[in-house]
Amino acid sequence: MPNTVSRELSVVEAVREALAQEMARDERVLVLGEDVGKLGGVFRATEGLYERFGPQRVIDMPMAETVIAGVTVGLAMRGMRPVAEIQFADFIHAAMDHLVGEAAKIRWRTGGDWSCPMVLRTAYGGGFRGGPYHSQSVEAFYAHAPGLKVVAPSTPADAKGLLVAAIRDPDPVLVLEHKRTYRAIRGPVPEGEYVVPIGRAAVARAGADATVLAYGMMLHESLAAADVLAQEGIDVEVIDLRTLAPLDRETILTSLAKTRRLCVVHEDTLTMGLGAELCALAAEAGVLDVPPVRVAMPDIPGIPVDEVLEDALLPNRATIGDALARLVARPRSHAGGAAPAAYDPGIPQASSIVEVALPVEHTRLAVDALAAAVRAVPQCNATFAWTGLVAHDEVRVDLDLGATSPASGRGTITLVDYGPAGSDLAIPFVRPGQTAALRIGAVHDGRAYAACAVDHRAVDGADVGRFLAAFKTAVEDGR
Amino acid sequence: MTQAERERAYGALSLARALDERMWRLARAGRAHFAVPCSGHEAIGVGYALAMRPGVDWLSPHYRDLAALLVLGMEPRDVMLCFFSRPADPNARGRQPYAHFGSRELHVLSQQGPQPNHCSHGVGCAWGSKLLGDGSVSVIAFGDGGAQKGEVHESMNVAAIHRLPCVFVVHRNGWTQSVKRSDQYATEMLVARAAGYGMPGIAVDGMDVEAMYAAATQAVERARAGDGPTLIDAACVRFMPNTSNDDDSRYRDRAEVDAVRVKGDPLVRARALVGADFAARVDAESAAQADDAAEWAEAQPLGDPATVADHAYA
Repeated sequence: MPNTVSRELSVVEAVREALAQEMARDERVLVLGEDVGKLGGVFRATEGLYERFGPQRVIDMPMAETVIAGVTVGLAMRGMRPVAEIQFADFIHAAMDHLVGEAAKIRWRTGGDWSCPMVLRTAYGGGFRGGPYHSQSVEAFYAHAPGLKVVAPSTPADAKGLLVAAIRDPDPVLVLEHKRTYRAIRGPVPEGEYVVPIGRAAVARAGADATVLAYGMMLHESLAAADVLAQEGIDVEVIDLRTLAPLDRETILTSLAKTRRLCVVHEDTLTMGLGAELCALAAEAGVLDVPPVRVAMPDIPGIPVDEVLEDALLPNRATIGDALARLVARPRSHAGGAAPAAYDPGIPQASSIVEVALPVEHTRLAVDALAAAVRAVPQCNATFAWTGLVAHDEVRVDLDLGATSPASGRGTITLVDYGPAGSDLAIPFVRPGQTAALRIGAVHDGRAYAACAVDHRAVDGADVGRFLAAFKTAVEDGR
Repeated sequence: MTQAERERAYGALSLARALDERMWRLARAGRAHFAVPCSGHEAIGVGYALAMRPGVDWLSPHYRDLAALLVLGMEPRDVMLCFFSRPADPNARGRQPYAHFGSRELHVLSQQGPQPNHCSHGVGCAWGSKLLGDGSVSVIAFGDGGAQKGEVHESMNVAAIHRLPCVFVVHRNGWTQSVKRSDQYATEMLVARAAGYGMPGIAVDGMDVEAMYAAATQAVERARAGDGPTLIDAACVRFMPNTSNDDDSRYRDRAEVDAVRVKGDPLVRARALVGADFAARVDAESAAQADDAAEWAEAQPLGDPATVADHAYA
C-alpha cells in the first residue's frame, strides 16, 4: 500500500470512498441501482455521490434487477465503467442470466473482440434478523461461473482496495459485501488511491496447528475463535480468502502444507458450497494429515427471522471453535494417518536382500510369488488412509518395468524389475501410501538378487526377512 | 426512397436471400451445424439498416437480421465463416453457432443464445451514447416471441424513462418456433404496447422495404434528436422452418405460407421498384457471391484445440 495517512473507517465508509475516488478519477465510472441516488442506497454505500456527481452518473433504476444487470452489460460493452448495485444479494438471481450467461462469456465467445468491464456490488449475509429474503449468501452460484470474478472483502481496507481493483478490472467482477461488516467492522484505511489485487488471499492470523479459510463476517468470527483457542495452546492460522474466484491456490496450499489441517467456514449452505471446492483442492494436493471440517449453514431453504433460530443456524465463534478443537484432536498421519504425497526421507525404512534362482523370463512367476509372500506377511500389502493403516485382501501389484512402463501408483504393493537393463542390486523406494516394494535385479546364470524395502511404521524389520524368504520359496518352487 | 436507394435495398435483399438458400441447403446436407433462415424477414433489416449511419450507429440485431448486417457492411465470406463455425469468423470466432452476430468494426453488439437478452444490452449501449454525447443511435431488434419476456418490458421502460437514443424493432411473424401467436399474446399486434411505456409506436408492413425504411427513418431521427425511443411493430411471414433443426409441417400448413410467398415476398415486391432486368442482374451476382463465399469459407481451417481456453479472462 502507498505511503498515505490511514484513519479508521467502517466497511461501508470504505466502499463509499472507493466509489467517490474512482468516479473522480475516471468519468466513465457511473453508479446505478435501486435507491442509490438521493437516498444514498439502503445501506448508504452511495451516500453523497448523487449530490457530487449528479443524476447522469448516479442513476436510480426501476425495481427490476434483470434490466439493472442488462444495461450494465451494455454500458460496459460500449466502453463505460458501470458499477451496479443489487440492493440485497437475495434479489440477484433475476440478474443471473446477464451475469453468468452474458457478462462472464462475452470475452470468450467473441475470441477477445469484446469485453465486459462491469462491477456488480451486492449486500449479502445474515445475522441481522432479515429473514429468508434479506440474509442469504449466494457466492457458490457465482463462483461456479468461469469468466466471472468474485470478491468478498472482510475489512474496510480490503473493501476499498478490492472495489477499486474491480472497477479497473477488464473483466466482470461481482463484489459481495457482507452487510453486517458495513458498520460492525472498523479498521485503518489509507486515504489515497490504492488497489488490493484480485486473486490474492491474506494471512489474517499466522498459526501452526490448523488453517481456517474464511471470508466476510465469518473471517471475524474465525479470528475470535482462534483467540480463544490460543489460550488453550492451540495455534490456528486464519486465511482471509478475499477473492472467491479465482481462488488463491498458492496462499491456501502454502498454509495447508504447513498446518496440514483444514477448517472451512462459510455462511452459505453446506452442500456444493465453497467449502466443498476448498476441501477438494486440499485433498487433490495431498496436503492434509487428517480429514477436513466444514462449518456452514445447514442445508435449509432459508434463514429464519426468529433470532433464536437464526443464531442457532449461522456459524459463529463458538461453533467454529468447537470444530477446530475436534480438528486438532484428530491424530496426524505420522501416528497412523495419511502418508505424504511424495517420497519423504523422514519416513523410517527397513530393507533386506536375498539371492534367488530365477529364469530370464520371470514376470508372471515373480508376481505370483509376491502374492504368496504377501499371504505370509499381510502388513506388506497395506496402504495408509486418513483412518489409519488399511490391510487389503486383494493384492494389486504396481508393476514398474522401467521408464516406458512405470507403475500406475494405484496398487497395494510395488514390484520393480528393469530386466537386463537393471543393475544387479539396489534398494527400491516404498511408493507413497504403500508399505512395501520389492525389486529384482538382472539375472546372471539363472540367479538374481531380490531386495525388499518397507515402511518401518507398518512393517517390522524382522518381517522383511520373513517376507523375502516366503518370496524365495514361492519363486523357486514355481519354476 | 430515391432510385439509388431502392437499388441498394434490392441488392441487400437479393444477397440475403441467396446466402439464406445456400445455408439452408448446406445445413440440410450435413455440411454445417445450424442454419437460421431469414427469408420473409429481409425487408425489415434492410429498411432499418439503411436508416442507420454505418460505423456510427449501433445495432443489437434479431437473429433473422442477416440482411441488416449486409447493409452495414458484413461481407458474404464473413457470413459463411460464421455459418461454418470457423475461427476466422468475425462474429463469434467459431465459438457460437450461426446467427449469433457481432462485430466491433460494424458496431454490432455480440449476440447471445437466450432471447432476447440483447435488448437491455442495446439500451445500455444507447445510454453510453447519451452519456458520451456522440449523437449515435442504437437499433434493437427481436422477435414477437422474445417480446413476451420481461427483459423486453424492463428494457423499453428504462429506455423511455431516460429518453435514450434507441429504436425497438419487433419482427412480428406470428410464430414462436412452433407456438402460434394466440398462445403467445392476446392482441393481434404489439404496437399498442408503446403507449404503455410513453413512447410512440409505428405499425408497418415489414415485407415492404420502402414502408420499413420510412418508419425506421422517422424513429432514428427522433432518437437522434434526443426525443427518445420508438417501437416499430413490423409484420412479416417466416417462409421457412424456425431453424434447420425444426420441422414446421408438424404445426402449420405449408400451403398458407406458400400462398403468401406468391404476392407478399419482400423480394418479389421490391423487384417492382427496380425493374425485372436490374433484378435479374443483381440476383445472378448474388448467387455467384453466395457460391464463392460458401466454397471459400468451407475450405478455411477449423479451430486449434490449444486455443479453446483463450480469452476466458483478459
